Amino acid sequence: MNLTRRLQRTLQRNLTLEDALPTRMPVYVDSVAYLFGAGTLMALVELVATGVVLTVFGPDWYHHRPVGRFVNSLHFWGVQVFFASLVLHMATKFFMAAWRDGRWPTWAVGMVAFFVALFAGLTGYLAQTNFDSQWIAVQSKDAINAVGGGSIFNPMNLGQVLTLHVVVLPLVIVGLVGVHLVLIRRDGPVHPLPRSGDAMDGGR
Amino acid sequence: MSVRSEQTLRGVPTKPYDLVLEGIVVLLLVVALVVVLAALFGSPDYPTVRAQDVARDQPVALLRTAAGFLAGTSDLQHYGPPYTATTGDAQRVLGVAPAAWFGATHPIRPAEDLVLAPLQRAAQLDPSLAAPLARFRSATPAEQQSWARAYLKALDHAVVKGSQVSLPAGDYGPVTALMDGMLRLGRSGLLAGALEAGPRQPYVLDTTRALLFFQGAVDHSAAKSLNMLGETWGISHETGPYPGAWWLWPYTFLYQVPPMATSSNGDLLVVLIVLLALVLLPLFAPFVPLVNRVPRWIPLYRWIWRSWYERPEGRKPRRT
Repeated sequence: MNLTRRLQRTLQRNLTLEDALPTRMPVYVDSVAYLFGAGTLMALVELVATGVVLTVFGPDWYHHRPVGRFVNSLHFWGVQVFFASLVLHMATKFFMAAWRDGRWPTWAVGMVAFFVALFAGLTGYLAQTNFDSQWIAVQSKDAINAVGGGSIFNPMNLGQVLTLHVVVLPLVIVGLVGVHLVLIRRDGPVHPLPRSGDAMDGGR
Repeated sequence: MSVRSEQTLRGVPTKPYDLVLEGIVVLLLVVALVVVLAALFGSPDYPTVRAQDVARDQPVALLRTAAGFLAGTSDLQHYGPPYTATTGDAQRVLGVAPAAWFGATHPIRPAEDLVLAPLQRAAQLDPSLAAPLARFRSATPAEQQSWARAYLKALDHAVVKGSQVSLPAGDYGPVTALMDGMLRLGRSGLLAGALEAGPRQPYVLDTTRALLFFQGAVDHSAAKSLNMLGETWGISHETGPYPGAWWLWPYTFLYQVPPMATSSNGDLLVVLIVLLALVLLPLFAPFVPLVNRVPRWIPLYRWIWRSWYERPEGRKPRRT
């Protein structure tokens, strides 16, 4: 058994270079609705890039220096663009019933990435070390504690919040987005619904 | 193209496409939009509620907070897990209290951790605190409560003149001296440090006690002035004229309607509804009858694929 040959065959069957980096697309991929996923991905790129700069220069820089405050604002508005694109992406995929023809795993991984992004957003607010983070920490603790989550995650523990926000959650999101993209490119764009709108259930 | 893709796209006309170019164009558009928004509007950075500011501007509020911890009247006293071992105080729905399963994993003794221990540390610099601390600690719990509650009540008639807070005469035992010490500690800017003193100093990564100290009336007063209270959609707001975390609106909406708005178990109810309606339902939407028919009832897809339906291929019925 040659594992390398098996991997080659798996890729040939599922994901060639032309699938991963396509130079042709079905003609029905012809709507602005297809750009929201790309918008979300590029907003994520912007967030990671500005996040790395904020991490390198540190809190005093982004709170008190003009350039630091501007980069902080880039990160802040990047979050707004990210969630706006993401919500539009999810809404359009829902109304396209994009889970059809065995694409539920793509849908599910995207959903999980969204939930992790919500948590990343919360830790971002908590990590700001201003009144927003102070207030959100003491307010959000009650919901987290009510379900027993407070035994693991404490929104008032800045060390935990900060490392989750700048290390763990970005890695998890990037990993999930990577899987999401591989599944998208493997399966290709879902066929348009028949105009009558039949056959949309169960990821079949 | 893979075997899989050839099967998927058999019979479907294709057109030239450049994934990398599309990615670059979208990235440039996103960056341009973000740069314009950041340059025009900046970002919120409202200063924290600090003990020295509260001690200066609202000394009675600081005293009321500290005396509440001593008197056992603060919300923290009967919070339940993870702060106190009183599992009966944990929020419960249908008899189930998930917080109680884990116990007091982050124990907080409000009087000791938030008042007496910080004062004990301050007593190294302020020896006048040593005697009142010793007297308070050696008193019975009933005496401690009696002094602290009398002091708390007397704060309703407090007179503030400059940096002095005067109370009507009463039997407050050593509590007056202790509270004056808390006020001095607050004014000095050392209260947060005294609250977070721990075994790993000089490193302080856990800010729990310093944040919990003002979580009651003081933080609520600041939040109210900024329109950030829970009954006004709370944490989905942001300080200043910014959009806030609008993606949390479905979550914060649940706090606006009964029974969640009024129930002492409101947080647990909200989280359970969120888990069911906003996590599991979307995740498994393709398999949920009715939900998976919504795209047919609201046929947005006809607009998205309108150019396809104008083609001869798009008019043919397709077996999926």
